[in-house]
Amino acid sequence: MLYFLTWIPILAALGVLFVPKENDKVLKTIGFIGTGIPFLLTLYVFMSFDVARGGFQFVQSVDWLPALGISYKVGVDGINLTLCLLHALVSFAGTFMANRTQTRLKDYTFYYLVLIGALYGIFTSLDLFFMYLFYELTLIPLYPMIGIWGSKNKEYGAMKLTIFITAGAVLALVGLIMLYVQLGIQSFDLIEITNVLNRTPLETSFQTVVAPIILVGFGIMASIWPLHSWSPVGYAVAPTSVSMLHAGVLKKMGPYLILRVAVGMLPEGTMHWAPVLATLAGIGIIYAGYAAIKQTDLKYMVGFSSVSHMGYVLLAIAAMNEVSLSAAVLLMFSHGVMAACVFATIGFIYEQAHTRGIRDFGGLGKKVPFLATVFVMASMASLGLPGFANFVAELLVFISAWQQYPIIVAFAVFGILITALYLLRAVQHVCFGPENPRWKNLSDALSWNERFPYILLLGALLLFGCWPQGLLRIIQPAVGALLP
Amino acid sequence: MNLNLSLLMPEWAAFGSLFVLLFLETLRGQKSDKGNLGLKLSIVGAAATFATVLLTSSSSGEAFGGMYILDPFARFFKAFFVLVLAGIIFISSRHFTDETSHRTNDFYLILWCTLMGLFFLVSANDLLVVFISLEIVTLSFYIMAAYERKKMTAIESGLKYLIVGSLASAFMIFGIALIYFAGGTTSLPEVRIAFGEDPSNRLMLLGMLFILSGLGFKVASVPFQLWVPDVYQGAPTPVVAFLSIGSKAAGFAVLMRLFFTVFPGFAQKDLLFTFLAIATLAYGNLAALVQTNMKRLLGYSSIGHAGYLLMGLIVGRTAGGSALLYYLIAYAVTSLAVFLVVTIIGKKTESNEISAYRGLAKRSPFLAACLFISLLSLAGVPPLAGFFGKFLILFGAIQTQHYLIAVLGALAVAVSLYYYLSIVRVMYFEDSSKEDNDIKLCPATKTVLGILIVGIFVVGIWQAPFYNFCQQAVATLF
Repeated sequence: MLYFLTWIPILAALGVLFVPKENDKVLKTIGFIGTGIPFLLTLYVFMSFDVARGGFQFVQSVDWLPALGISYKVGVDGINLTLCLLHALVSFAGTFMANRTQTRLKDYTFYYLVLIGALYGIFTSLDLFFMYLFYELTLIPLYPMIGIWGSKNKEYGAMKLTIFITAGAVLALVGLIMLYVQLGIQSFDLIEITNVLNRTPLETSFQTVVAPIILVGFGIMASIWPLHSWSPVGYAVAPTSVSMLHAGVLKKMGPYLILRVAVGMLPEGTMHWAPVLATLAGIGIIYAGYAAIKQTDLKYMVGFSSVSHMGYVLLAIAAMNEVSLSAAVLLMFSHGVMAACVFATIGFIYEQAHTRGIRDFGGLGKKVPFLATVFVMASMASLGLPGFANFVAELLVFISAWQQYPIIVAFAVFGILITALYLLRAVQHVCFGPENPRWKNLSDALSWNERFPYILLLGALLLFGCWPQGLLRIIQPAVGALLP
Repeated sequence: MNLNLSLLMPEWAAFGSLFVLLFLETLRGQKSDKGNLGLKLSIVGAAATFATVLLTSSSSGEAFGGMYILDPFARFFKAFFVLVLAGIIFISSRHFTDETSHRTNDFYLILWCTLMGLFFLVSANDLLVVFISLEIVTLSFYIMAAYERKKMTAIESGLKYLIVGSLASAFMIFGIALIYFAGGTTSLPEVRIAFGEDPSNRLMLLGMLFILSGLGFKVASVPFQLWVPDVYQGAPTPVVAFLSIGSKAAGFAVLMRLFFTVFPGFAQKDLLFTFLAIATLAYGNLAALVQTNMKRLLGYSSIGHAGYLLMGLIVGRTAGGSALLYYLIAYAVTSLAVFLVVTIIGKKTESNEISAYRGLAKRSPFLAACLFISLLSLAGVPPLAGFFGKFLILFGAIQTQHYLIAVLGALAVAVSLYYYLSIVRVMYFEDSSKEDNDIKLCPATKTVLGILIVGIFVVGIWQAPFYNFCQQAVATLF
């Protein structure tokens, strides 16, 4: 079942290759099928997930390379099910934006579907080798997608993003292999490794050496300060649907793998380095927030804002208790949906206006009321207004991390103030104020087709904002199983 | 003396192909080659030779009174070389078109000579046989490197290769002489026994180091790498392809036999090879960053790959050996694809500058996609062939606690990605000048390129059969 999530998009991508490139209609349909069916499947898995039973469900396994203990095993627990749901939402909404691509739609759809498949691959795999494989596979479509369809400075952004993430990934790979060798059970299977570790944890000295390798390696993907600089540039230059996926989903791979490997397998080592992680996260929150204030380009601003928000996730991980880790997963979900929504809005406006300067706009609230409303709502979600899932998550982060890191949490709460500052300023300049005559011809998202992605994403935010238990009830037991 | 000629089936088949081609050439004289007869015969010959390698898969043993050995290791390399040769023959047929056609068949002849040398090299069980077969290979490469004799750069590259290569041969024969002086024998099993009895025999160690220098030249390891960029830039592309795959694999085949089987107790092996591997890896990858010529860049990158392969030697044991072989398979299938594209572009644009690849994605999406995939495979991005080779090498290094080279090897992936992606950037993000037309490919080229690309994916994803094959091949070495 879970195999389909990965392979339907990839098979759809292969199908795209056989469609003539003028045939936009068929290409768009394949795009919808390739992301829509996995979306529905994920909903089905989410609905039929047995909360009472907990643990890993829908587990299936195929032997791959028995000589090294590699098997292609899939399964979901509360953590990766939540992230699958996030990916399903964002990728499906992203397809609507991807289908608005004007040039070389065929190539774009191909890369987009490969990227979607690889992301499902990461979130469903339960074998460290395959997790790593899909993790790096995402880079293959990303580089040309940003490089070809991106905006100004795209080559620089694409290269920087790829090199940073690869460097982190290979570093983490060294850590993963060290872990495998130390375990000595000849298996990359996550469940088996966890079982062995529950009986005989690894030596503390070994954990203290390997944990930072994993934390830095995957932390780069989570844009940990000071290795975050690829992120704002990369998002700013990427095409809309890539920004949505990258800020919304890809970036969550970093904390996800940190949770699985560092927290789950090297708890003592992670505990040892947690104060450092928390400090870096705290600096990241303030630094990126301050940088966001200074930006004049909307996408750069949101890019820095996402760095700042990932700081909260990392801070929650550093606190290493059940509530804080649940909060981290919930924040990953809600930030992902929110970021995707914001990038979708900016993308829609940028397509017509060809500018993203904050001060270039004004009075869009009158001109494009729907988009402006979405932008305001997403901004409110981002700065943690009650009613959105982000509020619950951020509140839980503060409460749960307070005991260990009161000073850093104090700074982090101050970070919310900074967030409010730059977001409200952006909202004020873009949506309100005097109407700028330059944008007379700007058109709103009018049809159902254009409005659907925004409604989907905001709907999810509101739903889980009012009913956080819907996610927390599956996250919490899974997180509890991670901790020793 | 036991001749045991039936073990030499693959050699007989290769010799048969060589003979038929020679006969054909003599009969026809200078007349032009109608219907690509030489190409067709060579392909048939390669298929036949491959079949004989498979046929001998159950027989192992020694021939010529122990000077020649056929074991799974030798068989692995024979199968490897014959398949590589088939690829090189095809690339040559794309390179030597019309104007030089009457000399194309001569070129195939030399290719077959090289193959004979390679066959004997991997089966050599005596230092003299190693030397002679290595000389056959190197001499053939001298001729092939300078094959386009009307081009200044080709002459230059041939001469450079000859001078440096002669020096390496001199080192090698001197080393063999020293070992003979110290141990009284050139037979590998006997040298092994002599070395085992006295692992600190200075003369023998000195001899071994001289042989290592000679082989370092073949595999393009620092500090014997200086010839690489110039020769790669000047020599005809098919020759460069054969140099970068065949010569490297040959060198490592001998290195593995020597350091796994003959000198396993060499105490400073780790230190020496760690130094060589790190220097080679750093030199190749850093120098490649600033290149503007495609073939020169591939030259430096091939030095970088030699660094990874040397890591496999450090790891040793079955893990290191099979990782090394897997890396060679991945490297071979990927390099063939890269050099086939380079040949086609070189023919169409008459340039090997990276700027000649501008806008390739628009002029031929298929070629651009193939080059994109194969370059990523060279860099080691999953799920492509190169990734799993690098994975196994890193895996072995960490297993044997060589953390320094593991981390450096991992970071070199990120560095190499920069220069490989720079080519992708030129292909995809830059527009070509207006007069460039679309590049049309003939069906044969498309098919072969398609097979190679599928091969890159298969070797990268479906590892089990290849991995087992590699493990069986190295198991008998220890």
